[in-house]
This record gives sequence, C-alpha cells and structure tokens, in this order.
Amino acid sequence: MKFLKLIILYIILFIFIFIAIFPFVWLVSTSFKGAEEIFQMPPKLIPEKFTIQNFKEVWMAIPFGRYYLNSFIVTLFVVVGNIFLGSFAGFVLAKFNFRYKKLLFLLVIMSLVIPQEMILIPNYLILLNLRLTDSLLGIILPSLVSGFSIFMMRQAFLSIPQEFMDAAIVDGCNLFKVYWKVFLPMTKPTLISLGLLIFISTWGDFLFPLIILRSQENYTLQVGLSYMTGTFVDNFRLIAAGSLLAMLPSVLLTIFLSRYFERGIFEGGIK
Amino acid sequence: MTFSISLFKIKFFEQSEFIGLKNFIRLFSDKYFYSALLNSIIYLLVTPILAVISLTLAVLVRDLNRGQNIFKTIYFIPVVTPIVISGIIWRYIFNEDSGILNYFISLLFNSKINWLTSYPENVFSVMILTIWRGFGYYLIIFFAGLMAISNDVEEAAILDGAGFFRRMFFITLPQLKPTLTLVFVLSGSSAIKLFTELYILIPGAPLSHKTMVYYLYHQAFEKFDLSYGSTIGIVVFIITLGFSYLNLKLIEREK
Repeated sequence: MKFLKLIILYIILFIFIFIAIFPFVWLVSTSFKGAEEIFQMPPKLIPEKFTIQNFKEVWMAIPFGRYYLNSFIVTLFVVVGNIFLGSFAGFVLAKFNFRYKKLLFLLVIMSLVIPQEMILIPNYLILLNLRLTDSLLGIILPSLVSGFSIFMMRQAFLSIPQEFMDAAIVDGCNLFKVYWKVFLPMTKPTLISLGLLIFISTWGDFLFPLIILRSQENYTLQVGLSYMTGTFVDNFRLIAAGSLLAMLPSVLLTIFLSRYFERGIFEGGIK
Repeated sequence: MTFSISLFKIKFFEQSEFIGLKNFIRLFSDKYFYSALLNSIIYLLVTPILAVISLTLAVLVRDLNRGQNIFKTIYFIPVVTPIVISGIIWRYIFNEDSGILNYFISLLFNSKINWLTSYPENVFSVMILTIWRGFGYYLIIFFAGLMAISNDVEEAAILDGAGFFRRMFFITLPQLKPTLTLVFVLSGSSAIKLFTELYILIPGAPLSHKTMVYYLYHQAFEKFDLSYGSTIGIVVFIITLGFSYLNLKLIEREK
C-alpha cells in the first residue's frame, strides 16, 4: 500500500517535470534541426542532421549581438542600482529614526502595490519630456531602484541587532563605514537573492522596453525577438536558436543559485 | 498623474486641452472596453487552478525523502524563462497546421483545435501558458508555507487514521490560510493584468479577444491616444484595488 502511494506520488511529480521541460526540449531540438526537417511529420525529437547553422544564421540575420549587449547593459545597471540604492534606503529606514519616516515608508509600500501598468503612461510622458525615449537610459532610469528592493533590504537590516551599530560607532566608524563594513556584509544572502530576482525580471522585461525603444539598434533581446517573430514567421529554427541563446543567462543563473531564488521569493514575498 | 492625464486630450507639440470626464463617458460606451474587461475577468479562472496544482505539488514534494531541491529547481525553470520566449515556444507548440500539439490530437481524434485563432480556444491557450509559467512559483510559496506550520497535529492525525484528503482539508488548509491569501493576491492580480502572453501568443486575434492592459497598450501606443489609455489605466487600478488592499494587509503583518 505504501509502495503504491509512493509510485503514484512519483508519477504525478514526473508528469509535471515533463510538462515543465518538454517545451524547452522541443526548443533545443528545433534549434539544431536543418531547414527540411523542421515541419516534418511525424516530428522527431532528435535531429537527423545535427547542425549549428541556425545559430550562425540568427547571428547574421538580425543584430543579435547588439540586442544581447543592450540587454546586458540594461540588466547590469538595474541590478547594481537596485542593490546599492535599495540597500541605502533600506538601511536608513531600518536603523534610524527621523521625521516623516513613517510617511516615506508608506510611500515605498504604496509603490509595491500600485500596478506597473497604471504608471506606464506617466513614465512614458516623463521620458518623452526628458528626451530619453528610444534610449537604453530611458529603460534603466525608472527601474534603477524599486520599492521591492528597498522593502527587502529594510527587512534584512531590521533582523540585525542594533548592538552592532553601537559597537561600530564606539570603535570610531563613520556611518558609511558602519553600512559598508558591518551591515552590508551581513545581508549577503539577501543581496544575492535580490540581485538574482532583479536580474531575472529585468532580463525578461518586455512591455516597458517595447514602448520606449523605437530604433533597432536600441532593442533589448526580448523586444528584438518579439519583432523577429513578426518578420520570420515561418522560420522557427532561427527563432528557436535565438530564443535558446536569449534564455540561457536567466535559467543558468537560477539553476546555480536556486537556493537564493527560493529564499528571495519568500523573503520578498510580495512581488 | 495618470488620473490628470485622463482628463486631458494630449497633443504632441501643442498645448493639451482639458476635456474633463469625456474619456470616461467614452469608455463606458466602448464595446471593446467591455470585451476587454470580460476577458480579463475570465483570465482570473487560472487563479484557483494554479492554487490547486501548486499546492498539490508542494505537498507531494514535501513528502519526498530526497531530491526535493531537484524537483523544485526543474519546476521553476518556466518561471524564470523570459515571458517573450515562453510565448514564442508555445506559439509554435500551439501552431494549428504544424504544431506538435495538433499533430498528436489529429492522430488521436482525427481533428484539429484552433488553439490560436478561435475564441474561446485561444483563451485556453493563454491560460495554459499562464499556468505553465506560474505553477513553479506558487509551489515555492506553498512549500515555504508548509514548512512553517507544525507537523505535530498532522502526525497525530495520521496516528488516528485520517486519510490524505481529510488531513488536507481539516488540518493543512486551515493553517495555510495566510499563504493561500498571498497566492490568491499574487496570481489574481497578475492574471487580471495579462498582456505579454497575448501580445506574443495571439497577436493576430481581434481586439475583442484581448485584455484590459492590452487594450490600454493598443489605445495609448498603437493609436497614440495617451489620455484614453490613461482612462483605461485608472479602471485597471480600481479593479485591482481589492488585490492591493489584501496585499497591503499581508505586508503589514510581515512588518
């Protein structure tokens, strides 16, 4: 009886493993297939003629390297910005008392629950007035810090006892040193989780870049790929090769840092 | 600011003109707005489905003696895959003439399903994509919730001979209430704001198959009527207020 239960348990778990990864298996298989194999019926999982032609072609057909670089630049700035600005603000909100602190914190919380879609148009108009539409800076600037990062860092700093602060100040540290040398290192797991979550969401961000970016040389990977599906409608092997390359950073990072990913989800809890 | 924009007629290169509530009046007689609203509400159906799937899997993974992390890691690969890419993959899986799904369906039933072009079939396709992308995420949240509740009561119930389902309904679920609320808030508010899934999966579908955020995008950035787009944004905000309120309560607790 117990054995039977165990078998049913594993069957269900493996069905969902199949559901979760079959689309990727299909993607990988297609990206290595030749042109004549792609719409072959019945479909084959293992390509007959294994080729890396698709990867070469997608690199030539569109400025794929450029998209990759753009995505990388945007993600790098946003991740670094959120880690630093988020931890600055979180540190102050967690460890100091000052006027209007409650109000400020309330604003941070409000920004967490207001749907991004609602402030899309105001953000767009501000960037339009700053003449920053159609530039990478236009995507980076509004995302440089978020209520999410501030909140998550505040929670992390809150859990560190006040005594550390007092001791460091007695030892002659100035406030920046207290933050940099004493508190920040203690939040390392949260910093990694936060960085990973911001990386994943920025790397995959679509709606805002779609609205802001107009010229091809500024496209991020996601915007570039979405337009590519319009131009190469029937050329799934090229799109598959491009998609595979574009998803690798997020997926590999998550697999290597899966512990931190999980931690981040229930620490942040609210995204 | 969104609200003030909605009161004006935005003109590029010119002074904007104050038009008061005209946009709101227009909205309430706009049939595409109503179909978008209806579709967004229909997409809320994924919320209970996601909750059932991910809670079941979370319980099963918890009961494993080993390999918990491997299962969880594989389940959240769809979660971290950029949504555009997930949409692209599924668009080819759902492809009506050459997709692998219709190939197997035609083998079994000798017919095809118009996954992308017919309504409501394309609603199901978008839902499948949403569920596929989401279940690993909510699984992690449920898993954390399960870890936080004590095992004692459950063990006592096992000794008393309570079966799996009875334990689930009378012991686990009541204790998981905060986690259930969190999952409901998160998946509900994202379901009502679906955009990219539709943009990638069913770009060719008529406007009447689309959601509110899609309609906002269409008005503001395809027809460049930013003020009407803002009006739709206000309505999206009002509709999600309930979720925001619950979300605030949860954050409060955590504070």
